[in-house]
Amino acid sequence: MSKDDDYDYLFKVVLIGDSGVGKSNLLSRFTRDEFNLESKSTIGVEFATKSITTNGKVIKAQIWDTAGQERYRAITSAYYRGAVGALLVYDISKRVTFENLERWLQELRDHADPNIVIMLVGNKGDLRHLRAVGQDEALAFAEKHGLACIETSALEATNVETAFMRLLSEIYTLMSSRQITDADSFRNAQPAMQVEPVQAAPSRNGCCP
Amino acid sequence: MQSASSTGTQRSAKAQKFHRLLSLPTVDLAALRELLWSGAPEEDPKVRAQSWQMLLGYLPPVQDRQPSGLQKKREEYEELRRRHYLPVEAEAPSGDVDGAILRQIRLDIPRTSPGLPIFGHQRIQQLLERILFIWSLRHPASGYVQGINDLATPFVVVLLASELDCLPEEINVDAASDDTLDAVEAGAYWCLTKFLSDIQDHYTSGQPGIQQMVAKLREIVHRIDQKLYDHLEEQGLDFLQLSFRWMNCLLLREFPFPCVIRLWDTYIAEPLEGFSSFHVYVCAVFLIYWSPQLKQMDYQQLMLFMQKLPTGKWRNQEIETLLAEAFVLKSLFHSSPNHLNPR
Ligand SMILES: Nc1nc2c(ncn2[C@@H]2O[C@H](COP(=O)(O)OP(=O)(O)O)[C@@H](O)[C@H]2O)c(=O)[nH]1
Ligand SMILES: [Mg+2]
Repeated sequence: MSKDDDYDYLFKVVLIGDSGVGKSNLLSRFTRDEFNLESKSTIGVEFATKSITTNGKVIKAQIWDTAGQERYRAITSAYYRGAVGALLVYDISKRVTFENLERWLQELRDHADPNIVIMLVGNKGDLRHLRAVGQDEALAFAEKHGLACIETSALEATNVETAFMRLLSEIYTLMSSRQITDADSFRNAQPAMQVEPVQAAPSRNGCCP
Repeated sequence: MQSASSTGTQRSAKAQKFHRLLSLPTVDLAALRELLWSGAPEEDPKVRAQSWQMLLGYLPPVQDRQPSGLQKKREEYEELRRRHYLPVEAEAPSGDVDGAILRQIRLDIPRTSPGLPIFGHQRIQQLLERILFIWSLRHPASGYVQGINDLATPFVVVLLASELDCLPEEINVDAASDDTLDAVEAGAYWCLTKFLSDIQDHYTSGQPGIQQMVAKLREIVHRIDQKLYDHLEEQGLDFLQLSFRWMNCLLLREFPFPCVIRLWDTYIAEPLEGFSSFHVYVCAVFLIYWSPQLKQMDYQQLMLFMQKLPTGKWRNQEIETLLAEAFVLKSLFHSSPNHLNPR
């Protein structure tokens, strides 16, 4: 097998959030353009990669999908180490998954790099008739914590690509603006992220367009 | 214990052996273990169900006691159902914890599909929900953990196929009476409970049972395939990463469902100390099976390959080869004083 080394940067990204919000399907939609109504629950962690191009650079995203259940936290939290980005996912039709976001942020504070770029993702945007979390609420939450945010539907393939692209470009921008002394560190599996604390960036492209 | 695999042509002879054993007034459990270790006859669903239920302590080995024994167990389960599940049906799970568990179970039930359409059937989904919820309440040290839903499915299928006297892939849920499904539910609950009692610490806080199994797997691979071990080390692929799901779901996610059932014949037949120590040897043989390919791969290729191993076309024969090799490996480790003892 050949090693596909044709990328400029390797970014490790984690997908976190309550069980059942659609993390695995966001990942399969982004990396393989697949959606599965009966996808099996994730046991432990799973992994996929995809390369994108931004600012003329090829970025390989190494995305770790984690199990949402509390019991797996001990196993999954180890994977936050070295991650430069996180998609923090809730389900717009399940209020409790939004209420648990604070706990997920705490998980990141406890286990991830303090400079990790986080994007809030309200998934299952297609379930409009069942909406239990308002767009304004999500925006307020994102602003309060300095996160970018977006609503997606893995089912309808809306905004999935955009969510990942925005996260990856933001990581890239922060990284290149910060004069990384050793850009090569982004090429191994545990990149040493050295960027400034993330700025709130919700307004323009906006949460919930 | 013999580890010779059977071939297709011996099938009816095999079924006969089981029948002879199972029709005695008192079934010799040791003999039954030995027979089941090499697999139940696929064409005879009742034989497998009886053997599983007997070795898991659900069906009494003394014929005369079977009706009353089953009756008692079924009543016990009915009682559990009244006590624990009735409040749920009345939409009032007692307390936050139970509510969270029920939510998790309900999320996972539509995602429980070992490749058989019956798990999309509402009656089966409800049956599974009750089994998992009651098991969870009765085992508060772990409670329901994702993956246990998968582990319940072989029992449901094997018992239901037996009740309806058909092959697993021919099960027609609508043909089953309420009483039949109740019998299956009680049986599956008790069998699952007994089966999981061997690996309870897989699911308690920190999942120590899994950590131990992974450590043991690492030791075994280190000893018998140093090159593979070194390669995995070099690539930075942790054994926990590559085998967590194997331990958590007992390889159920790695094979086609019929192969899982065959694998579990042997697990259920494993002698008294349980299947958990043997399972690690099976995992070791399974990993080493891919060794030539794995040694060519880098970290990412390894991760992607291990997540979705090309076992889609596997049949019982491949499983039986694994089992035979694992048996040899285990004997080797246990007979050599230089080797580590299990646990
Ligand atoms: N309607 C709808 N359902 C979704 C969407 N994304 C995922 N699902 C469904 O939600 C369930 C859980 O999805 P999954 O990706 O396994 O969630 P995870 O536990 O967060 O990984 C599955 O039945 C999916 O088919 C979505 O965007 N819209
Ligand atoms: Mg998942």
